[in-house]
Formats: sequence, structure tokens, C-alpha cells
Amino acid sequence: MQHGDKTPPEDTNAPATGAGFPAGSARTKNKTMEASGKTADPVPSHANWGAELYLTLLDTADIGVITIAQDKTIMFWNKWMEKASGHKAANVIGQTLDDVFGHAIPTRLQNGIRDCLTLGMPAMISPSLNKAVLPLRPLPQFTEKFPQMQQSIRIQPVRTTSNTLLCSITVRDVTLSVQRDLLLRRQAAELAELVTKTRRSEDRTRAILQNTIDAILVASEDGTLEPLNARAQELCGPQGDPEIKNIIRFLLPDSGSNPPPKPPSDRLLTDLGTGVIEILACPASGYNIPLEVAISHFTAYGRYHYIITLRDISQRKRHELEIQNTMQELENSNAELEQFAYAASHDLQEPLRMVSSYTQLLARRYKGKLDDTADEFIHYAVDGTRRMQRMIDDLLTLSRVGRHGKPFQPVSLAGLFDAIEANLQRADAAPAGNIMRAPDLPEVIGDPSQLLQLFQNLVSNGLKYSDPEHAEVRISAREFDNFWRISVSDNGIGIDPQYHASIFEIFKRLHGYGEYAGTGIGLALSKKIVERHGGNIHVESAPNEGSTFHVDLPKDHSVL
Amino acid sequence: MIDLSDLERDTITELINIGVGRAAASLSEMVDQSVELTVPSISFVQRFSDANLIAAPTEVVSAVTQSFNGPFNGDALLVFPEKRSLELVRRLLKVDVPLDSLSDLEQEALMEVGNIILNACLGSISNVLGHPINCSMPVFRKCQSRDLMPDIYPVSRQDAETTAPFLLILHVQFMLREDDIDGYVLFVMDLDSIQTLKQMVQRYLAHTLS
Repeated sequence: MQHGDKTPPEDTNAPATGAGFPAGSARTKNKTMEASGKTADPVPSHANWGAELYLTLLDTADIGVITIAQDKTIMFWNKWMEKASGHKAANVIGQTLDDVFGHAIPTRLQNGIRDCLTLGMPAMISPSLNKAVLPLRPLPQFTEKFPQMQQSIRIQPVRTTSNTLLCSITVRDVTLSVQRDLLLRRQAAELAELVTKTRRSEDRTRAILQNTIDAILVASEDGTLEPLNARAQELCGPQGDPEIKNIIRFLLPDSGSNPPPKPPSDRLLTDLGTGVIEILACPASGYNIPLEVAISHFTAYGRYHYIITLRDISQRKRHELEIQNTMQELENSNAELEQFAYAASHDLQEPLRMVSSYTQLLARRYKGKLDDTADEFIHYAVDGTRRMQRMIDDLLTLSRVGRHGKPFQPVSLAGLFDAIEANLQRADAAPAGNIMRAPDLPEVIGDPSQLLQLFQNLVSNGLKYSDPEHAEVRISAREFDNFWRISVSDNGIGIDPQYHASIFEIFKRLHGYGEYAGTGIGLALSKKIVERHGGNIHVESAPNEGSTFHVDLPKDHSVL
Repeated sequence: MIDLSDLERDTITELINIGVGRAAASLSEMVDQSVELTVPSISFVQRFSDANLIAAPTEVVSAVTQSFNGPFNGDALLVFPEKRSLELVRRLLKVDVPLDSLSDLEQEALMEVGNIILNACLGSISNVLGHPINCSMPVFRKCQSRDLMPDIYPVSRQDAETTAPFLLILHVQFMLREDDIDGYVLFVMDLDSIQTLKQMVQRYLAHTLS
């Protein structure tokens, strides 16, 4: 009804207009019509019957129908309008829309009515461009979200038989459509946001993948290998290694019923089964590249996939080689040095012995026969050669630590210290009872004779630099996760912290030759022995508070 | 062939500009933002295929049509390429998330925009010339531009001179949020109607100039 294309203005037979709104004083007649339509006429004429039918039809229509007269007063107001506006027809007939709704009528509707009544122009008022044109109540289900009914309004000119122009307004409730449109719009917005987010996250993931230095490939169940990033494409592409895919297929845990042939041994840099897989890629262009292969897996959409990561380890390999070379050089130079020290000390002995025997001969024969000064000179010469003799002996001993070491074996420290005490007592260097041992000394792994040399050195040092009245040397052991710490403490003169490092240097002495005996090789020798055992030696001490030497010996020698 | 003097042409242009100005004011008020509407050009053509509008015959256009009768009869159309019509409606409604095509309510909004503009043009002519024009409710159509007036095609060359309707084509430009959206208003009238319009314009000019 509201979509009627046009109303023929001169159509005198149009039943709706003709019967419902006869020409003349539309307003009063209409009132009469309404009255007659509602009160049952005992003998309805044909015209009355028609009027009643059309009025009933208009009243029961599911749209609002309003008719406005030339003077802008309301001529007709159907039941739907009564319900939606809350105004009874009887109360609005003869009034203007402004009277009924106050001045809440928007200009658009007013202009529409004006143009319709003066120019015969139809108008439509859409809910999107105009918010709630008439203050009508929405249906109860919409009241929460919509304070007013959303309306779609049509304004149409209606020409009566007497050529009077009336304005017919139809109002449709489109609240449901508006609600649906809002919902649709919100969903579209959410979807758009989701798409944007997904796309952004995808771009980011792709960028990360593309810019990863490692080559990444994915293998599906059927063995198809797909390069995932630029580096992988490079390796598998025309400029890459034609064999690389076969090598990777060979490395995959389950390569199907027909496993690819084992690649040539120069392509597999490591033994399989060691956990680290290294292969050699030989790209068509450029140098061979050693690659470390890591294989992980995931399940997507019920299918099993492998992720293969290839890391270029050229740099690492180069470093490894460099370290290997340096180590070899170091070993060679060490061996040479030891050889030199041995040879030097060994060969020096012979002429020294000559000097030594003849100076001693001089001393024996000519002591007291020359003058006092000559005696003194001879004494110095003899003393010097003796000291040199001892130093050369010590050097020899030192060089032998590396050269003549015995295989490691379990050594009971208790037994070791028994032997040391016995040695010292025999040399009359240790009064009984001044070496105190912890009861629970463990068994360690090492070269028994060298360990004996080590601890005898430390104990006799302790005694040497102790309080001469009541010298005390304590030996204890403490267990750590990976090593034993054997500590030798004395109550002697102590060592200034500034010398804690240098005392382990060869021939280093903190005191003059007259004060304490020895060449100063003892701690250097001890250090060398400890190092041969993969351990550590250090000192804790302060002047006049005694010294404690800690020897850390590893429990496990498998790495050596 | 229609033969309008410069004065007659200017008068029609002026009447339409008045109407379009009113429509713009009305739209601005409704959508609470500045809507500027201009008519950069007006042209008369006899064959639809002469119009620039048909340059892309398969382009999908949205058209709001209102028929009118009275002293002169015909159809008035507001035509936009579909994408531009979507853009127009969404700018007017301040919708940020576009759907793929016009929703029911957006379509109705476009019909109202068409109604406002077409009514304004026709109303302006009717008002000044002193004759009411009866209009139909607007109808929305989406079709290829060559199908806008299918009844025109095919027309034989001989008949074309007498039976083919004349087109008064207005190029309209919406300026919304600093952007232009171009559309067309077409008045499709037969020869009699054009003559009547011409006579009425002449009478109006005679009246106002005397």
C-alpha cells in the first residue's frame, strides 16, 4: 500500500479515496464517516457498506495511517497509530501533528507534508537519515535498546474527486530491521578487526620466518620437502645444492617404505646417533657450507610434519679448527720446552760438576794456606756451585713432572700422609705430634709418587715457616660436588696477600738465602703437579696468621 | 530537435540550482554535517547513448526513479555508479565498516536522498512555473547502466527523431567530508513534454520580464 507508484489525481472511481474521504469539508465529513463506521447502521446503504469496509481495512492494517487535510489538521488516525502513539483518534482528529506531539516534529516531516499539500510531491523518510521522526513507542521487546520506534515513513498526495489535495502518511515499524542492521554492522566490524589482526600477525610471523638466518623447511608425511624461508629456498633452489633434499630425507626418522640412499660420507660430517647432525652442503655456486641439522615435529590437521632447521656453522667450524691448531702448537711448544729444560739442566750438570769438584778441591787443599780473603772467595764459589747444583736438580725434577708421570690410580691420603710423616721424621725435620690430621681423609685419584711429592712439599713448607717453638701443621679434607679440597695449614709467619700469586712462580723466594733453606722451586713444582692432575692450588694467608694451602683435586678424571 | 534559447536554458538551470540548493540544505540538516551539492553541467541529449553516463555500459549503477506527470510527463532519475552510491550513503550515515552491498536500510536512505533531490528539482520548477506536478514514490533499481532505460533500445534511426524521449542530464556533485562524489540526475521526457516545459518557461519569462 505504501509503495503505490502513483495516485491518479483525477480518478473519480478510486474507491479508497472516493469512499473514505469524500469531497467537501473533509474533516467534518470524516468524523461523520468514522461515527457511522463504528456504530452499526441497521440498514447499511451500499455507500456506507463500502466506507465501513475500507475503514476497517485501514484500522486493521499493520502500519500507521494518518491523513492530513489542506489546513494541516489530522483527518484520519488508524488503530495502529492509536496504539503506537498512545493518542486516541477521537482526541487527535482536527488537531495538527504539532498539537498532538508538541513541537517535536522534525523539519523534514513538516516540509514533506507542506510539499505534498502544496506541490503534490510524495516523500519518503528513511530511518537511517532521520532518527525517530514521530515520538512513537517501540514494541516491548525493543524498549531496552530503542527508546523510540524506528520508522520508515511515506508521504503521498491524495487528490479527492473535488480536486482537493490531501496528504496521506503511512508509518512502518522498522525497529527490527534497524536492530538487525546494527548487529550486522557490529559483526562486520568485529570480523574486519579480526581479519586485520590475523593479517598483521601473519605478516609478522612471515617476516620473522623470512628473516631468520637459519634455513627452515617443513616435511610432510609423504616426504615432500617445502622450503619455508628465503635461506631455505636459496639452498634448495637452482643455485643451491641439488643433493640437499635427499640428504634431509635420509635424515628424517621415518622415510617411508623406500628410504633414500645413504649420502656419501663426505656429506655427513658427524656420526649419526650422537645427537648433533652436521652435513656439508655443496651449492652450485660458491663454497661448501657445513650445516647443523635440527629436526623437530608437530601435528597439524591430523597430519604429522617435521620442521628441519639448517644452521650455517662455517664460522664455528673455522673456530674449532683454529682452536685445534692452536692446541697442537701449544702442545708442541710445551713438549719442546720440557725437552729443552731437561736437556739444559741435564747438560749443564756436567760442566757444573767440574766447576764444583775443583772449587771443592781448592777449598780442601788451600784453606788457610792463602790469605783470609782468598778463603772467603773460595767459600762463596763453593756455596754458589752447590746452590746451582740444587737448582739444576730441581729443574730436572720439575721437567720430569710432565715427562715421567705415572698412570693415575686411587691413592689413600691417610697412607700418603703416613709415608710423609715417616720421611720427615727420618730426616729429623718433624718433631713427633706436630702434624695433625683430620680422621676422615679420603681416597683420591692421581699419581701416588707425585701426590707424595706435592703434599710432602706443603707439609715441610708449613713446618719450615712455622713458629719454631711449637710448630703445628693441620691437614683436612672437604668434599665438594666435583672435587676434593685438601687443606694444609700452619701457624707460621704467613704471606702478604700481594705475594699470593707470585709464590707459585719458579725460583721465587720471599726471603734471603740465609733465613730459610730451599731454592724456591717447591711451590712451582706443587703447582705443576696439581695442574697435571686437573686441579687447582691456592693460598689463604695473612702475615703472622699462618697460611693455608688448598689443593682441589677433581673426583672424576674421565675428561683428562 | 529541441531548440532552447540561451535565456530559456539559463532559466531551467537556475530553477534546478535553486532546487538542488534546497536539497543540500535539507540533507545537511538531516545528517548533521556539511553537504554541498552542485550542478556543474546541464545538457540535453536525444539518445541515451550520447550521454557520458553510458561510457561504461556494463557498469552497475544504483538508480532512484520517480515518475512525474502534470503539464509535462516523464521520469526523473538519480544515478550513481554502485560503488559511489555505497560511498555516498556511508558518508551520509557516518558508517565506518562497509558491507559488500547496500543493506535494506542503506538502500532506503539512498532512496530518500534521491527523493529529496528529485523533489527539490521538480518542486522548484513546479513552484516557479505555477503548476503542481504529480510525482510517484521513488523506486530503487540496481542494474547495468545500459539497462537504465531498456525501453529506449532498440529504436530504429527513423523513429528516433520523433518517438525517442529527450534527456535532460544534470551532472551533480556531492561534497562530503572534503571528498567529491559524482552522480547524475536525468529527466527523461517525450517531445510534447519538452515543448510544454519550453512554453511554460517562455510564459514565465514573458511574465517576469514584462
